[in-house]
This record gives sequence, C-alpha cells and structure tokens, in this order.
Amino acid sequence: MRGLLPFLGQRMLFILPQLFGILLVSFFLIKSIPGDPAVLMLGPTATGDAVAALRTKLGLDHALPMQFWYFLVDLVHGDLGTSWQTTRPVLEDLLQRFPATLELVTFGLLLAILVGVPFGVASASHERGWLGRIANAYGLTAGALPDFWLALVLIFVFYTILQVVPAPLGRIDFAVLPPPTVTGFLTVDSLLAGDWAAFASAASHLCLPVLTLGLVNAGPILKMTQSTVERMLHSDYSRYEVLSGLPRGMVVRHALRNALPSIITIISVLYGYLLGGAVLVEIVFSWGGAGQYAVQGVLNSDIYPVLGFVLLSAIFSLFVYLAVDILYFAIDPRIGR
Amino acid sequence: MSQHQAGPLHASRRNILQGAAALGAAAGIGIASRPGPAHAQDAARTLVIASPATPQGLDIEFDVSLGSIDALGALYDYMLAYEKMPDPKAPGVMREDIGVHGDRPNGLALRGRLAEKWDISPDGLKATFVLRQGVKSNWGNTFSARDVKWTWDRKFNLKGQGIFQTAVLGLKTPDQIKVEADHVISFSLEKPNPLLLKQQCNLANPIYDSTKLTQVGGADDPWGVQFLKNDSAGFGPYKLQQIVRGQQAVFQAREDYWDEKPFMRTVVMREVPSSASRLSLLQGGAVDIAQFLQPREYMSIGTSRTLAVDTVNASSMIWLELNAKIKPFDNVDVRRAINYAIPHDDIVKTVYYGLADKLTAPVPYIYPMADPQYFSYDLNLDKAKQLLATAGLADGFSSTISYNAGDPVQEPIALILQTSLRRIGVNVQLEKLPAGVFYENVTKREKPIIFYLDSPWTPDPGYATFLYFDDKSYVDYSNYSNPKVNELIEGGLQTLDDNERKATYGQVQKILMDEAPWGFIAYPKYALARKAKLSGFTYYTSNNLRFQDFARS
Amino acid sequence: MPEAEATTGAIAETGRTSRLATLLQVARARPRFALGYVIVLAAVLAGALAPLVAPYSPVEANPAEFLQPPSAQHWLGTDAVGMDIFSRVIYAPRIDLAIAVAGTLLSAVVGCLIGAWVGYHSRGGGLRGWLAYLVMRAADVMQAFPVFVFAIALVASLGQSVQTVVLAIAFVNIPIYLRLMRSQVMTIREMRYVEASLVAGLSDARTIARHVMPNAMGPALAQLSVNVGWSILLTAGLSFVGAGVRSPTPEWGSMIASGFQNVVTGEWWPSVFPGLALAVTVFGFSLIGSSVELFADPVKMRRLTRDLAARRRERAA
Repeated sequence: MRGLLPFLGQRMLFILPQLFGILLVSFFLIKSIPGDPAVLMLGPTATGDAVAALRTKLGLDHALPMQFWYFLVDLVHGDLGTSWQTTRPVLEDLLQRFPATLELVTFGLLLAILVGVPFGVASASHERGWLGRIANAYGLTAGALPDFWLALVLIFVFYTILQVVPAPLGRIDFAVLPPPTVTGFLTVDSLLAGDWAAFASAASHLCLPVLTLGLVNAGPILKMTQSTVERMLHSDYSRYEVLSGLPRGMVVRHALRNALPSIITIISVLYGYLLGGAVLVEIVFSWGGAGQYAVQGVLNSDIYPVLGFVLLSAIFSLFVYLAVDILYFAIDPRIGR
Repeated sequence: MSQHQAGPLHASRRNILQGAAALGAAAGIGIASRPGPAHAQDAARTLVIASPATPQGLDIEFDVSLGSIDALGALYDYMLAYEKMPDPKAPGVMREDIGVHGDRPNGLALRGRLAEKWDISPDGLKATFVLRQGVKSNWGNTFSARDVKWTWDRKFNLKGQGIFQTAVLGLKTPDQIKVEADHVISFSLEKPNPLLLKQQCNLANPIYDSTKLTQVGGADDPWGVQFLKNDSAGFGPYKLQQIVRGQQAVFQAREDYWDEKPFMRTVVMREVPSSASRLSLLQGGAVDIAQFLQPREYMSIGTSRTLAVDTVNASSMIWLELNAKIKPFDNVDVRRAINYAIPHDDIVKTVYYGLADKLTAPVPYIYPMADPQYFSYDLNLDKAKQLLATAGLADGFSSTISYNAGDPVQEPIALILQTSLRRIGVNVQLEKLPAGVFYENVTKREKPIIFYLDSPWTPDPGYATFLYFDDKSYVDYSNYSNPKVNELIEGGLQTLDDNERKATYGQVQKILMDEAPWGFIAYPKYALARKAKLSGFTYYTSNNLRFQDFARS
Repeated sequence: MPEAEATTGAIAETGRTSRLATLLQVARARPRFALGYVIVLAAVLAGALAPLVAPYSPVEANPAEFLQPPSAQHWLGTDAVGMDIFSRVIYAPRIDLAIAVAGTLLSAVVGCLIGAWVGYHSRGGGLRGWLAYLVMRAADVMQAFPVFVFAIALVASLGQSVQTVVLAIAFVNIPIYLRLMRSQVMTIREMRYVEASLVAGLSDARTIARHVMPNAMGPALAQLSVNVGWSILLTAGLSFVGAGVRSPTPEWGSMIASGFQNVVTGEWWPSVFPGLALAVTVFGFSLIGSSVELFADPVKMRRLTRDLAARRRERAA
C-alpha cells in the first residue's frame, strides 16, 4: 500500500454513494409504514380539510420520489426536517441525543475492552488452566444474555433490593442541574465545569447501563482476542521465540501486539453496531438517546428522526472505520512506509 | 367535540421521546436543587409537576393534548365557571357543582368570571353578557367585548376544533355574536339551546387578547396561529415564561391578574415520560405532583406519610368501539353478547386496582341525568352464548381487538377480554398499535373492535350522547346509527326544560344500553398523586389541573 | 452482533468416515459441547411436549390470581393478568425457535445462492460482473444500517405477524451468508476441477451447483448455529419494543417486556424466568456453534486429536 492520503481519498469516494443508498432505502422503507403524519399531528379531532391543508404544507401530496428529492435538497442545506413528535428540527434533537448514546456506548465499550482483552489473553495463554476455563465459559455466556434482560436483573438487584444506585431514569438526577454543554458527555462536561455534584450524579446513573453493555459486549472481544492470540502463539515466530528462550510474558506480549488489528476491528464493528444496538438498554434506563429517538420515530410514522439517525450513525460508523484504518498505519510498520 | 385528553393515555398520543430526564440544556429553573435559606420561600411558592408530556401546542384550536389542557386553564380566563363544592367522597378535594339546580337561574350553579352578569331571554333565543371592567391581559391590554367577539370569529375562520363549538350552539354565522356595547356582548340563536351557558365554562372556549394577537400576526396571520403555538395572549392568572418541548414548561403568576393572586408564583411542568419515573421523583421529593400514574403505582403510595393520593369519580370512560358497519357487529345480539362476556369486576380489581367503576351508562356517571338503571351487562357467559346462537353464530366467530400501546391498562384488559370471549367461542386476536397510529385507526373506523378512552368535557347528557352516538358526529367512531336516537338527542338539545330533558335522555340511555354500540368497560377515576402538604386540588370535568387552585400548608 | 469471520473450509477436507468417530471423540473430551446439544434438545422437547406438560393454558388470563410469586401451584408465578409463567415459558420455544430457525435458514439459503452467483461472476467483466458488483454494494448498504432500527421498520411496514418477524430476521442476516459464500466461491472458482468441469461443457449453473456450492458450504454451515442463537435474541428484542409477535403469544421477549414495569416495583418473576430460559437456550446454540467451529478448523482439530491420542497413550501406559 502506498501513502495514507490516496488511500483515504479512495475511501471517501465510496462514502457518498453509500450514504445515498442508505438514505434511499430508509426513506422508502419508512414511507411504506402505514400511518399518515398529517393525521397524527393534528390528532383525532381534525377535520378533513385541515388534514389536506397540512399534507400540502408538508409536501405529502407529492409523489414519493419527489418527496425524496425535496428531502435531499433540504439535506444539502443542512436541514434534516422536523420531528412531528417533538416539533423540533431533527438536527437539534439529534445533537442533544447523540452524545447521550455516545457517552453510554463509549463507556460501555471501554468496560468491555477492559474485561474482554485481559481475559482473552489469559485464556489463550493458559488454555487449560482455570483462568482459561472461566474465560471460555464467560465468553459463551456473555453472548447469550439479552442485554435488556440483564439490565432488568441488574436494576432489580442494585436498585430495587440493594438500593445502591439511582433509579433507572435517565442520565442525571432530576434535582441536579446539568453542566453547560460542551461535549454533550455529562461526565466530561461536569468535570470541565468543576461541578462535582453533577459528575457524581451522572457517573452513578451511568453505572448500570455501562455495566450491562460492558458485560454483554466483552463476549465478542474476549472471543476474538482469545482466538487471534492463540493463533499467534501457535505460529512459527512465537515458537521460535519460545525456543530462543524468551520469557513467556514477552512472547505473549508480542502475540498480542500482532493480534491487535483483529481486536481493533471487532471493537470498531461493535462501536458502530452499538449506536443503534444499545437502544433496548436505552429504553430500560429511559436514557433519552438517539436509538430510542429513532425507534419512537419508526413506531409513530415520524420519518425524519429515523432518517437523521440512520444518516448520522452511518457517518459515525464510517468515521470509526476510517480511524481504525489510520490506527493500522500506526501499529503495523509494514503498511504505508 | 370530544376532548380526548381524558386519561393517562393522552400522554402518549403525542409522544414521548423518553428524553425527559436527559435534559441536555436549558434547565432554566433549578428546582430546589441548591436550597439555601433565601430560596426556601421561593421553593414553597413553586409548584413542580412531573407530567407525561410538555404542552405540544398552546392553541386549543389545534391541540388538545394533555400538557396543553393543563396550560390552558392557567393562561386563560373564561366567561363563566361552575361554583365549586367539596367532593362528597374525597376529603379536601373540591369539584365543580354541575348538578341541576331548579332554584337557580337557568338551573345552573354558575359564577361570573370575565362575564359579570348574564341573562337569557324568556324564549331562550338570546343571551346577553355584561363583561367585567378593568381586566388586563398578560400583554397589558384591557379586556372588552371585542375580545369575546374576536375569539368566536377566530373559531369560524380557522375551522379547527372551534367549528364544533359553534355548531354545538347552533351558531351559523359570526353575526350571531354581537358587540352591544364596550362591555356588553350578545349571542342570538335560531333555536333555544341548553348548552349556551355551559359552553362558556368549557375549557375549549378561552377568551383571547385580540389586541395583541391581531398586532403580532399582521396581515399574513390575522388569527395569531403562529404566535399561539409557543406563547399565549389571555386574561388568566399565569403567563408562560418558557417552553422547551420534551423538557419543561414554566409558568409565572401575573402580578396584574384581576382576581385573587395564585399561591404558587412559579409552576414548572417537567416532562417525564415513564410513569415509574414520575412516581420515583415524587417519592424522592423532587416534584410536588406526579401526574397520570398507573393504578398499581397509586396503590404503592397509599401508606406514605409525606405523600397523598386524591381519587375522585371522573368524566372519563373506557369502552370498546364495536363497529356497526363490520360483520358480525352489525347484529345487535352479537354486540350484546360481547357485553355479557366482559368481566367488569376482574378488570376493575386486577387492572385498575379498584381505581375505576364499571361503565353503567353511555355518559359519565357524574353528569346530571346519567342513569345506571338500564345497565344489565353483568358477566353472564350463558346469556352471551344464547345471544350468539340467536344471531346464528352458535359456533362463535373470529375477530380482532385493537388497542393503544401507549395506555398501559389496555393490554391487560384486552388479555382478560380475550380469555373471557374464548369461553363463548369468540376468538379474538390482539393488535397492539403504537400510540400515534392508534388514533389514526380510531378515526378511520375500519377496525372491528378498537379501544377508546375519552371524556365529553361539557357536563351534559345531550352533549355527551350527541358526540358518540349521533351519526352526524364525527366522533361516532363505532359507526352507530339510529334515526330515533338522533331525533331524541337533537330534540333534547333544543329544550330548556330540565324535566323534559331528563325524560328524553333517559330514553336515549335506555335504547343505547339495549343496542350496545359499545363494549361497556369502565369509568376510570381521576387520581392525583401529590405531596401531603399540597392542598387545593379541584377536579374539573375536562380532567385538567388549574395551577391557581393549589397552595402549600 | 458481529459475526465472527468463519473458519475456512475445513469440513470438506476431513474424510467422511472419520467424521462421526471424531465427533464422538470430541464430545467425550469436551463435555460442554455435549451440553449445548442437550440444552437445545431440551428446548425443542419443551416446545414439542408443552401441550402435554404445561399445567395451564399459556394464553388464558386468570384475573383472580394475578402477580402471584412462585409457588407449588404456579411454579414460576403468574403475570399481571394471572397467566401461568411456567406454562408460557415452555410454550415459548415453539415460537422463538421456529422464528429463529426459519429466519436463519431462509437467510442462509438466499444468502448462499446469491453469494455463490456473485462470487462466481465477481472476477468476470461485462454485465454480470457489473451486476455482481452492484449486489455487493447493496449488501454494504444493508449492513451499514443500524440492524435493530431496520428490523423494526420492516416489521412496522409489513404488519405484526410471525412471518414478518421471520422475514426481518432473514433480511438482516442475508449479507452475512452472502459474503461468506462469495469469498469461498471466489477461491474455489480458481480451482482446477472447476475449470475442468467448464471445459467438459457443463453450464455455469450446473458447475456452480455440482462443484462449487458443495465445496463452499462449510463456513456457512458453521455459522448457522451461532446465527440461530443470535436470531432468538433479535426476536426477543423486537418483541421487547412491541414490534414482535402479537400478545399474548407465549414468547420470551414479550414476556420480559410485559414484566418490565413490575421488576422495578419488586415483582421480578414475570421477567426473570423467561429471560433465563432465553439465555440458556441461546447459550446452548453458541456451545453447538463453537463445537462446529472447532470441528471445522483443521488446525485445532489436529491439535485436539493429537492431545486426545497422547492422553490415551498416557492412560494406557
């Protein structure tokens, strides 16, 4: 491979048509859901005239391809449409809700990495030891747990019985003023503002949802780490290192280093997936995140929030993959030099 | 028109992004968050309400959602109001005196608000109102007969829900409402109408500040539609300070209000979509009122010393629309059979935890002239089977019950019904509809059986029966049609004599119970979960709160 | 959830006769794999025998006995309208397994067929090559979707029914099989025996069917079991947001959802038991999956059989 820049340029070329495809599919899919936004907006008491007038105003009387075209035109002008449910521009709504989801997913994934990678390495290097067995069992169990159910069980244990965490109601205590928005991450913002009360509240609200996501998603990370490190340990260079008398720890470290690209890949895939995939956990904890916003949109024929969400999360995933490619450049000396 | 904001579900029609607690920004008011000595007084005079939803719009012409109706009673004043009386069953709770009072003028216990004196001509064709002087709006404009005239002209012109308000009074043109003098206005009718005064109290008829609204709208928007989406112009005790949809609405008491100043200087309405969350906030002391909890949650408050629940009989009704245009519900015996298979006691006990009564009349049981004596549908599966056999359906049939996912009581009721109906050979599938889509389906009238929860705001049997059973009403969602019933209902709406009306609507109720256009389920009660020290709760037939009623002891 | 890139075609390499023997060997050496088969069998049996075993009807409300904790009468308690949770839990595999298996098989068949075609024509030019390219881009688009939102939208659009849920599950899984098959076929396409078959005058379609498909199926088969487990989770998730099967169909996800509000107020049983049943079943499928994975990985298999043989020798000595 040559330099980083041409590579990135090539990637960018593919992004636009792909985004277009995603929008196209979601637009027609969501439009095919029965439910007339005009009727829904006006409520059950509206007269036929009022509904017709609103349909005209919203452009719903045009053919679908035309509606899609108008949507694209607005999009180019930075207008993602308006949600009939919140009566606010979708972009505004998303800018508020996306960080909520991102904060949850990021911390959840960090926990998953902290659990998954060490356990994975341990189980690969002590295949037959008790650690390896536990890691193995954990890897299989974690993938089998429905996250929303685990969330409920955690709530029952830690909130209902032990009462050591706040009620599963959103991101911060009702009585605590949220810090001024900088990053949208309440924990980070409260630290920036030096507001310890807000930080404590935000952190305690994060505990259970992060634990849920972390425990469940550590599974795939663990499995991937285990299988790649194991493969590396059985490879010729590792055998050579062992034969050369290198300490076991160093051999494992080298194997891990070589396994990193696979591990990073699975993490990036999880990151992209969880933006929408964490929605069930969001619902359980009334998190008010972007996934919840999109699901409510689907259920209530509110098309623009769904389109906005799909677009934003696709862009986010693409950026994550891009970042991963750049990371590869950094960790693999063979690429790009 | 029906004002659908009756029960808990209202919350949900308008949804519900569970963003509530996740208020990123703009939390203007720090509710008792850092209570210092200086704040103690303010905190006592601040009312914090956890609501399922903030007002969607503030214009009753287009929006009758839950948050909106609570806002309306605070922001606007009305021509008349019912006198208040203590609730006969709930200590400390007040309610409107909506009964028939033979000894009072027009048989009603009314008190003047924006109208000081009123008079109906002996033939019942003209009503004259003398208006209060020196009343100012929240924009400082002085109230006059022009404001009343403009308010009704607006209904004629916008053709939103207001057109129903004009129709129900038999008003055909704006000219029937006339400014007689600066502070005198008259309504002229072609036929006498018993609702003329009652409608002046209806929450849907607030009086606007026409000076402000004509000014802000200009030529493009002569009726101030844009302005009223996010603001108000009226003569009520509060003004809107802030509204961030999905988060909160803040109301400020007006210093220049003409009547008694409200105790609560500031009212904060926070959107908290999940009922468990609202309860939790109340228990934690963060809010004074938690609106629209689930029956089980009200029960859990029962024993608390710092919290209280007020429960009153209300105007809400929940029923099944048995679609008379879809087979086999076109057959009266099938509809009756369904009614005999409704296990009322189980539903009231299991689903409502006793916070409901069985629906024994086609009108709210708290309304004058409501008569439960025609109800005969106590659970009787044998009778139900017999009726099905009479209808030629001895082997039963299959159908679908559609219900609202946003109203937590509907699914359990549907499950109980499904089991009971199976015993008479009727197999129903349950169809759960998301809140938004649910209402669309109700209005389309294409489902064989669909739940409905509603309350007719005006406490009058003619108004209520016209809404749901006259085939000229677009709220006749069960497609029921009976010329005899139409005639009786409409006749009663042109009669001023209460005794005659009582006989007429008795007959209407008898026919309706017999022909069973609905599956009669329950009268859910109105319950308010609040801090024990909060007093003054008053129940209105429009099922809204008025913030000015509350005080803290 | 991301699907682990499956192993390369190893099953094909193992001799047919030795396979059963090795399987038994492996089962003896790794009892947890056997456990997987036992669990899945148990779930299937529970579903099949539910009408005989269940003490109550799974869809009858009994308002007189609502929200009762587990007892001798109701082993796992009752839910908010008095339905017996044990009966519902054992009836549920009928729906959950059926949906997951049907959805997975459908996606595997469709995905593999398209994948084979695309793989076969990917390197070619002309209209077919171009079409193959388009199909891959379409798969990109489908995979770039947030899976869950996509599935809910599909169910909302087509209406709530078992068939729709099956379809939604099939849809989100198709790209996985498509890719697996495509990469396999692209490798095999270059093999000499494929050339030979074409030279011998067999048509493209027959060559694909006779020579390419059978040799490329391995990874896709290995994927199946894991995928069924994952589909069960997705089905439950759909029900949890109310986009799954209709109430009161006994289904684990909707049972968890309907007990959701009760958990916070302390009645845990309506949600916890169906969740456990669900988790154990999915666990069973992933055990099977990992056994298949091992079985399909020649390197690991060789190591394992070597170890087994060594252990046997030790014991004999």
